[in-house]
Amino acid sequence: MSSPIDLTASGAPIKSGQRPINGEIAAIEDHVSGVVLALAINGLVWGLIIALIALGLSIIFGLLDIINVAHGDFFMLGTVGGLVLTMLTGSFWIAVLFVPVIGFAIGIVLERLVIRPTIRQASLTIVTTFGLSMMLQEGVRATYGAQPRRMEAPIGGTIPLFGIDYDIYRIFAAVFAALCLAAFFLFLNRTKLGTWIRAVRHDPETATSLGIPVARICAITFGLGTAMALLGGAIAAPITTVEFRTGVDILPFCFMAVIIGGLGNLQGTVAAALLLAVFEGLVTSVTDPTIARILSLGLMSAVLLVRPHGLFSGATR
Amino acid sequence: MNATAAINRIALLFLAASLLAAPIVLPLLGASFWVSVVAEILIWSLLAASVNLLLGYVGLLSFGQALYFGVGMYGAALSVLHWGAGFWGGLMLGALAAMLMAAVAGSVAVRLTWHYFAIITVVFSLILYFAAMSAKPLTGGDDGISFAPPSIFKFDAVNLSLGDQTVQFYAILAVVAAAYGAMWLIVNSPLGLRFIAVRENDRRAALIGINVYLTRYIAFVIAGTLAGLSGALFAFFGRYASASYMFYHVSGEAVVWAIVGGAGSLLGPLFGTGILIVLRELVSAVWENYLFAVGAITILVVMFAPRGLAGAWSDLIERSARRPAAVAERGPREAPQTAAKDGARSS
Repeated sequence: MSSPIDLTASGAPIKSGQRPINGEIAAIEDHVSGVVLALAINGLVWGLIIALIALGLSIIFGLLDIINVAHGDFFMLGTVGGLVLTMLTGSFWIAVLFVPVIGFAIGIVLERLVIRPTIRQASLTIVTTFGLSMMLQEGVRATYGAQPRRMEAPIGGTIPLFGIDYDIYRIFAAVFAALCLAAFFLFLNRTKLGTWIRAVRHDPETATSLGIPVARICAITFGLGTAMALLGGAIAAPITTVEFRTGVDILPFCFMAVIIGGLGNLQGTVAAALLLAVFEGLVTSVTDPTIARILSLGLMSAVLLVRPHGLFSGATR
Repeated sequence: MNATAAINRIALLFLAASLLAAPIVLPLLGASFWVSVVAEILIWSLLAASVNLLLGYVGLLSFGQALYFGVGMYGAALSVLHWGAGFWGGLMLGALAAMLMAAVAGSVAVRLTWHYFAIITVVFSLILYFAAMSAKPLTGGDDGISFAPPSIFKFDAVNLSLGDQTVQFYAILAVVAAAYGAMWLIVNSPLGLRFIAVRENDRRAALIGINVYLTRYIAFVIAGTLAGLSGALFAFFGRYASASYMFYHVSGEAVVWAIVGGAGSLLGPLFGTGILIVLRELVSAVWENYLFAVGAITILVVMFAPRGLAGAWSDLIERSARRPAAVAERGPREAPQTAAKDGARSS
């Protein structure tokens, strides 16, 4: 099973198999700490990308109370879109520019057609988005094909980092995702539209009476959430496998970030995504990825039981 | 309401009769393939019923029922392989293993509700899914393990003769019917009333002396056992068990079947599972990308029948039984409960 959050995937060539037996102690320690750091950075890179996707899920969840099971498939659509647009236009940067725009448009249309008719019943939105998820996966399989593909990194080369060679593109992806996150929070807190979105989330009835077009804000929010998932997908396309099933693996991770961060707590979502990914990266350095995944899931259930309203509930409410 | 009850009783008799006749009549029509489809529907409907017991009767949305399905599957397969258990023994052990699993997981999971409950059930099922995937020597991982069918299924898995298929069908039908019968008894017992009281308002339920935690816990364990029974049956049906059935996507499908069928009605999940599996078989014969159509139809069903097929059905017969007032007065909040009563009575 290829997981898109496979922290040991191709990016960082870690020579864990070749443990020096008679080498100098200092060299071994250097090497080990290098591996640990690299995996932690891997976790951070994925964490930032996942944070972007989970944030999209979080605003949809928090504002519309929709359990969007298709969100992972929006991410998948982003990876496929990134690859296809890059092949068509010859430039990855054009793809990264256009994929979120396409995502926004798709989100607006789907909100109108599929989400709005069932918006007041959370259990029904699970079914509609599940149907949507089937359609997206099958649609991609019918058109793009079932063959998993890898995409060449648009920025090649590596830089030496803590004794190992690290992909430059991964660093770029992390920085870019962080900038997108910052831009989103600026948008939410500093623009009129962002204020409206917050107002509708806080109290839709008062917002209506103040003349805010609530229905349109809901559509825009869904479009924004979708756009963020597709953008995350486009950024992640060069560091993951591109196929119609990747969304299935990433979805639970995003939901966990949303829940552990606290429902409706956007900063919490980002922090939880980072925390989970870095934790998993660190654990991967001492054991295999599956056990790391099991441990991080175990950590998650512990958090849920001890602080069911999110890790950061005390600080924000 | 007597007219409604009578119609429901006739419909139920018709259903029972057609299920009993299926393995005899369908091959005569040259459609013996559909006998195994109906058997598959019966088996999967129990998984949907386990989702329904939690969602429709105690108001807990579980996204992790596939875990108990998988445990039941392995319980049956491993007991046949290693202990030489027969069909009934394997079935019992599968259901028992799932029950124990649910008893452990449930003691923690039912402390949470709604979104949090949904997430923790997914988390648990994912943990066991990854564990089963990596414990290849025991579980066979993704490839799974296959086993020779025990005594009452003496035939070769590849070359099923017609008579054998009939025996298998009736064995499955008997087990599934017994499970629905047991559910009917539970739902109509004082315990079933407690379930509904907790679903409607857990605070009030607590105030009149109902132990909410215990009620949810009992429902969770029963639902886990049901899912395990379904998994054990499916293991015998396919003669194998695979960890891939524990993935959360299987749970998601069960949730969809339950809601499309109508959460809160006893037989709703059977119809939800039935219509979606029949649809899958029909469309897949003509179109490779049939899941696209299945997804679209799933969306359309909940748009036009938000209370599921069972809700649409009870609306239909009540309207034809000339009781429009009852339909008009019913608020959305009350609807599932009424559907539950109808469903319960119809069995």
